[in-house]
Amino acid sequence: MNENFEPRIVGFMCNWCTYVAADMAGVARLKQPPNMTAIRVMCSGAVSPLYVISALKRGADGVFIGGCHIGDCHYQRGNHSTLKRIMIVKPLLEALGIDSRRVRLEWISASEGVKYAKVIAEFVDQLKELGPNPLREM
Amino acid sequence: MKEQVRLRCKELLSAKRVAAVWGLREKDGCAVPFLFQNPEEIDALTLSPKAPLSFTCRPSNETMLSVLQKKMPGKRIGVVARGCDERALIELAKGERIDLDLIEVIGFSCDQAQAEECVCSRPFPQNPVAGDKVKGIPEEKAFQGLLAMELKDRLKYWEAQLNKCIKCYGCRNACPMCYCKDCRMEQSVFTKIGWLPPEFPLFQFVRFYHMSDHCIECGECEKACPMDIPLRKITKYLRSRMEDLFDYHPGLDAKRKSPILTTVDEDPVKDLPDELR
Repeated sequence: MNENFEPRIVGFMCNWCTYVAADMAGVARLKQPPNMTAIRVMCSGAVSPLYVISALKRGADGVFIGGCHIGDCHYQRGNHSTLKRIMIVKPLLEALGIDSRRVRLEWISASEGVKYAKVIAEFVDQLKELGPNPLREM
Repeated sequence: MKEQVRLRCKELLSAKRVAAVWGLREKDGCAVPFLFQNPEEIDALTLSPKAPLSFTCRPSNETMLSVLQKKMPGKRIGVVARGCDERALIELAKGERIDLDLIEVIGFSCDQAQAEECVCSRPFPQNPVAGDKVKGIPEEKAFQGLLAMELKDRLKYWEAQLNKCIKCYGCRNACPMCYCKDCRMEQSVFTKIGWLPPEFPLFQFVRFYHMSDHCIECGECEKACPMDIPLRKITKYLRSRMEDLFDYHPGLDAKRKSPILTTVDEDPVKDLPDELR
């Protein structure tokens, strides 16, 4: 584990839940690592698997996808699609030789700012352990 | 076997149960797709696994059968189909490209040698007119070598393999399931136009992902590839994952929607971690 390595994370966050939670974590001055580049999307269901692989290819060490809990989606069933897609994308990444732990899907509702800070800290630790993304240099 | 299929086609044509039969015709030693409309012509009908009935037409989102169905509205067409051809028909019907109610499948099974050559796990249609339902080759055979590799080596392996790509789009054009009019593999966001080799692994990733719930394992992509990229190692692996996760087999049930399109309540994900429930 390289202590000096700072992973870069691209986070796709749902406008209605996770983005609000991230905002809340900031407003509440919760301590969180600065490695996250947040991209606000209207729904986690708008995140195509191609965005995930593009992010990994073009410089991200990890990709975070945050959405509402199952059943709470603002668009009824957007996060159902996200879940099923990511369940397929992970084995596909593994088959290509990319560690599927670099992609993390979490359900974080608008009030769970504390959970957001905790998840990001955990994810950064995980990525530090995994080291730089080998796909980046290819 | 050929005789049994010919007999069945003749029966259907003379009884006017179908207006035409879409199959392969022997001509100058080659098997070419042909639309048989008279019972007399059927004697030239041949079965050749090496020359499949290609269902797609490029460059458009039409398939050969959808063109035929438009030209012969309301008429039944018989299709001489192997197991994979039949699965392709069912998947095309699910994608609303063809009308399955107007198609009569005249299915025949492949023999063991052919199944081994294609590494096919289901070398027979649902109700074959001719041939026995031989045992398929388990899907693990295609990808167990890949899974035995370390992640690092796998990435190196695929980098070497996929960088051979000359972007001929052969895999897409040969695939009976690739029928999108606007193909993602042509969009400049994901593929730099006029650049070789295409960006690893974005270019093939698109197709692999799209095939996860569509691949009917006909093996045409790999046969079409001029650079011999082992594409089926991944498509077969994803098929087996779809089976583990959703108990879903593309091309078997015309009623069942792809689990990616349904909600978690309709098609639950197996072994889902508790925090994602």
